[in-house]
Amino acid sequence: MSHLSTNLAAARAPTSLVVLTVACVLLCLSGVAFGSSWIPIDQVAATILGAGEKTQKLIVLQLRLPRVVIAAIAGGAMATAGFLLQKITRNSLASPGILGVIDGAALGVVIFLALLSDESNALVTSIAYQPVAAMVGAALGIVLVFTLSGQQSNSAIRLLLFGIAVGAVFKALVMVLMLIGPIYRTSQAARWIAGAVNEINWSEIQVTALLLLPLLVLSLVVARKLPPADLDETSARSVGLDLPVFRIVVFALAAALTAVAVAFVGGVGFIGLMAPHMARLLVGRSVYAGLVGSFLLGALMLVGADLVVRVLFSPVEVPAGTVTAVIGAPYFLFLLMSRQRHDG
Amino acid sequence: MDAPLSDIAPTAVTRAGTASLVPIYALLVATLIAAMLVSATVGYRIYDLGQLWDALFHFDGTEAATVLTNLRLPRAVIAPLVGAALGIAGVQVQTLSRNRIASPDTLGLNAGASLAVVVASSVFGIGSLAGLSLTAALGALVTSLVVFAIAAGAGGLSPLRIVLIGVTIAGLGQSFVQIILTTNEAQLQNLLFWLAGSFVDRPMTLVINCGPFVLVGAVIAFLLARPLDALQADDSTATSLGVPVGLVRIGCFFSVALLTGAAVAMAGPVSFVGLVVPHAARRLVGLRHDRQIIAAALVGAVYTTLADVAARFVIFPLEAPVGAVTAVVGGIVLVLLLRRRIA
Repeated sequence: MSHLSTNLAAARAPTSLVVLTVACVLLCLSGVAFGSSWIPIDQVAATILGAGEKTQKLIVLQLRLPRVVIAAIAGGAMATAGFLLQKITRNSLASPGILGVIDGAALGVVIFLALLSDESNALVTSIAYQPVAAMVGAALGIVLVFTLSGQQSNSAIRLLLFGIAVGAVFKALVMVLMLIGPIYRTSQAARWIAGAVNEINWSEIQVTALLLLPLLVLSLVVARKLPPADLDETSARSVGLDLPVFRIVVFALAAALTAVAVAFVGGVGFIGLMAPHMARLLVGRSVYAGLVGSFLLGALMLVGADLVVRVLFSPVEVPAGTVTAVIGAPYFLFLLMSRQRHDG
Repeated sequence: MDAPLSDIAPTAVTRAGTASLVPIYALLVATLIAAMLVSATVGYRIYDLGQLWDALFHFDGTEAATVLTNLRLPRAVIAPLVGAALGIAGVQVQTLSRNRIASPDTLGLNAGASLAVVVASSVFGIGSLAGLSLTAALGALVTSLVVFAIAAGAGGLSPLRIVLIGVTIAGLGQSFVQIILTTNEAQLQNLLFWLAGSFVDRPMTLVINCGPFVLVGAVIAFLLARPLDALQADDSTATSLGVPVGLVRIGCFFSVALLTGAAVAMAGPVSFVGLVVPHAARRLVGLRHDRQIIAAALVGAVYTTLADVAARFVIFPLEAPVGAVTAVVGGIVLVLLLRRRIA
């Protein structure tokens, strides 16, 4: 592996991060601007800063902005989780999707829909409890993976394999429940699994932000100690970077980030896999730049995906998670090919 | 950035001398035959071996004979064929990508096949099994060409690149599948079953059509066993041993495409087999690829055959998709193997 182009990327990292931040803000503003009625971007910005008439305030502040904000922080959190996992396991296939967390959350949601629907397929309780079910399922997944792995959780590949095993069992249960359930419930579960940014209110965002903020700060703290990408297991151990406890902390951190993120937007695991690789190609191998870059790219991908489904498919509500790959994949392949022979 | 393959059952390598392998293979073959007999006779109705014998060699048109030859026998043959194909493909993918959590799914072939099937059935209204099988095989083939072309354009099939391009294409394929499924609810239930993988109602002609591809793929894999051993280390070591690294990768990729394409045509995307079977195979016979390939073929065959039998009883009298059963059984087995530190 030559590092020629990642060195180049590292040199441009500050510029790239500024560009990503600007792109993120612009995309979020456009996310608010587009919808059933078009609101010019300058008016959007003015309304957010406090100006504007009453209906516009309602549309911008209560209807569209929450959706964009949850997409940005959930996408960013998912990407951060992926970044931490890929660094700590030194495995390019590691992602939040294979920790048993997302499948656990999916199982929680499917069971929630199955238990709490009456014969006419109407929910007997508020849909607002669905994120709670997702989080309970996710927590169950994490706890199960760590309990089963026991002392072996200090080996990265083993912990990943435990996660894959638990996730596979959960996924199969979800599949069976969906197959034997009535069609309405099936499609509702399918939407969740694909990942959809749904209507959301500010108090839910507050909860999410309160949970995510300490986790993201902690990510920045542990980032300092993450082992350099190319260090193999033995050398990492010999320079003291391979502490089992540290590894468990990072895994748990990634799992917690994922659990909170999926609770409101569903299974958008692809972001967690792809964003860190994009970040590496764009800003190089520096840990801080990679972490911030991953967060921004994750936010960009999910806000962009939500925008695309609203513009292209409206009034049909297509889950945003379905197009994250459609948006992210071509760009990633372009990055891979334009930096050919250097980053494979 | 991938870690070297340092923690794979080092004890097994020293333990498995050539002589000690014969009992393992023999045991696996015996288990496979037993599993196939169970698969042919046990189900919604249970038949005895005499009836199976009669159906095979003195076909008399009774209901039992008809059920056995038309419904049970194809499953008893297709399931192990699919398992063997996915097992061999899994071994190759994990070595090719130097990644122990890679599987044939990682290369995007199953996602490509799924997309082709979903498009064929929801846009073109193709509903017959033969049509869907052909579509799936074409989808897998086209996807493998796309992945290969992009990898070639980006500088070749290096382990990291093949994985990254594979998962990207897989994500893309799954995206389109999900878009179609979430906008077309009528198709959802139908296609979900196909997408989970199943051996129900497969005609014997599938074996005749897909079997040769499995065979060719397996032979290529076996011929490449020695160079694959060298590829397990890093590229420069392999090159210094005189292994044409690029060619071996292309050969492997071709073999994986044949094996996975044939498997998905026969049973739909059966997940998890290609991931977990190589781990079990390495545990049994060590790291040499000629041995790994034989063991993976046998373990995979036993695994899918038994999963197919189990699928008939999980939600009796309905049939569970075999993909769900392979995942549950495989997941539990993987946890047990890992906990006893032998995976």
